[in-house]
Amino acid sequence: MKFYICIKMVPDVYAPLQIKEGELIMDADRMVLNAYDASAVEEALVLKEKHGGEVEVVCIGPAKASETIRKALAMGADKATHILASGAEEYDSASYAKILSAFFKDKEYDVIGLGKQSQDTDSGLTGSMVAEHLSLPYTTNAVGLEVENGNLVVKRQGDSGQEMIELPTPCAVTCSNDMNDPRIPNLKGIMASKRKPIDQVEISSLGIDEAELKADTKVTSYEEKPARQAGKKYEGEAEEVAREVAQLLDTEANVL
Amino acid sequence: MSTILTYIAISDGKLKRSSLEVLSHCKSLADASGASCEAVVIDANASSFIEGIQKYGASKVHVVEDPIFKNHMNTPLLKALANVMNSVNPSVFAFASTEGTKDVLGALAANQNAAVIADVASFELIDGGVKAKRPVMAAKIMNNTEAKSDKVLVSVRSGSYDLNESPESAEIVNIDFSMDDSEMKSTLREIISASGDTIDLNEAEAIVAAGRGVKDEDGKALISELASVLKAGIGASRALTESGVYDPSLQIGQTGKVVSPQLYIAVGISGAIQHVAGMANSKVIVAINKDPDAPIFEVADYGIVGDLYKVLPPFIEEIKKIKS
Repeated sequence: MKFYICIKMVPDVYAPLQIKEGELIMDADRMVLNAYDASAVEEALVLKEKHGGEVEVVCIGPAKASETIRKALAMGADKATHILASGAEEYDSASYAKILSAFFKDKEYDVIGLGKQSQDTDSGLTGSMVAEHLSLPYTTNAVGLEVENGNLVVKRQGDSGQEMIELPTPCAVTCSNDMNDPRIPNLKGIMASKRKPIDQVEISSLGIDEAELKADTKVTSYEEKPARQAGKKYEGEAEEVAREVAQLLDTEANVL
Repeated sequence: MSTILTYIAISDGKLKRSSLEVLSHCKSLADASGASCEAVVIDANASSFIEGIQKYGASKVHVVEDPIFKNHMNTPLLKALANVMNSVNPSVFAFASTEGTKDVLGALAANQNAAVIADVASFELIDGGVKAKRPVMAAKIMNNTEAKSDKVLVSVRSGSYDLNESPESAEIVNIDFSMDDSEMKSTLREIISASGDTIDLNEAEAIVAAGRGVKDEDGKALISELASVLKAGIGASRALTESGVYDPSLQIGQTGKVVSPQLYIAVGISGAIQHVAGMANSKVIVAINKDPDAPIFEVADYGIVGDLYKVLPPFIEEIKKIKS
């Protein structure tokens, strides 16, 4: 099976951050492979090991995103396409989806895999947008993938249970990080990644009008969350504090 | 006159409270702006929910009823939502941010060439669109996002708005729907339900959540007993759903469910940022943990430092006493 996995370079959510006059200030060097995308790469590699095929990663991003691409190649992806986008910070999910759809238009593949959301913005829109643009069968929030008789069988985490969904190929699927623990690249993988091809593509070569990529949504500012006051800590004899807090939930917090 | 439309989600044969919260908010936005507040329900038994929807102030309820909607499948749902948008032409279409919504929201936006803001904590109307607040960076901070378009889709986190009844005798509009087997893009093979009749965490008034500190069957039994006394839903941290101690559908956090009950009791949960991202908006948070430096205490209103196996039995007993 031919897998294309869409990956994104995102800020490390663990990195310290601050907000100055509505602007988010973070260390620009603390960029990582989106964790959900890493799970999609991992799952594709596992399926390739079982059933054969090829795993290619696609990344829209600035020149620096090549580090993120190398990480996926070091995990074991066979090759990569880097869609160079210097103005990526102006794009919203719809812009990304349009670029990806234009890229896939003339490609042959069985499965397009994506992370179910970006760990920085948590929107979770791009995957189903790409599927709609390409008229592909799709499912979101996959927690398990299997290949059976040439179809992709997806275990999806729904609202109250898990759904087993069979998708004919070609199809698209967005992946939860609950499906696996992405492998940490070993030295051999890292060395091999340096010899793997990264095809660089300009957005203009994909036949989309730049004006179409103009985002309908825009982040105008950032702000602190209304601070949650840490309450009181009760330490001491377990029985005593347990009863005291239970009483307070009734008389003070009024939630019983 | 512009229309603000709310999608009313049905799950396990019940109206999702979270969508009624969204409807309550849309009703107040519509009243303030002179827009029409309408709702749509799509289900195998859609018309049976009209009465419940009318209580929250929709002046029109659009109904799509077809057996195909018995279980969630994105192909028919997407087609029905697109039909509804074509027929109602709403300027704003609001959803509760359920897994069902997340499965179709992006595709619907692409299909309708609409702007979309997902998973917001609040939203307001502005000239030419919508502005919203979204938790980002593992919910450590908020951003303000604006969508400028004549069609804006927005999905709202559960618990963001209070229910507000304002009964209206709504006009009922049936929207035709039919779907050929050949249009079905995928096949739903089976549904593996979460074990037992668990309370939907997005709807629960109280949640007892278990973390790594819950080590064995005795611990699980204490969690179940506390939940039963409080009529609470049971949730779990990622550590416990990954190791199979609890069902994956019970996971609370950035990856799992984002909840905001009246009462959240975190038992043996250290409070990693991904977990806190999923529960920090709860009204009252109680944390029970033996590590006094556990980060969960930074968001807890009531923190009990102690071994959960020693704390829970008297805690449960005292709550039983209060409740009786």
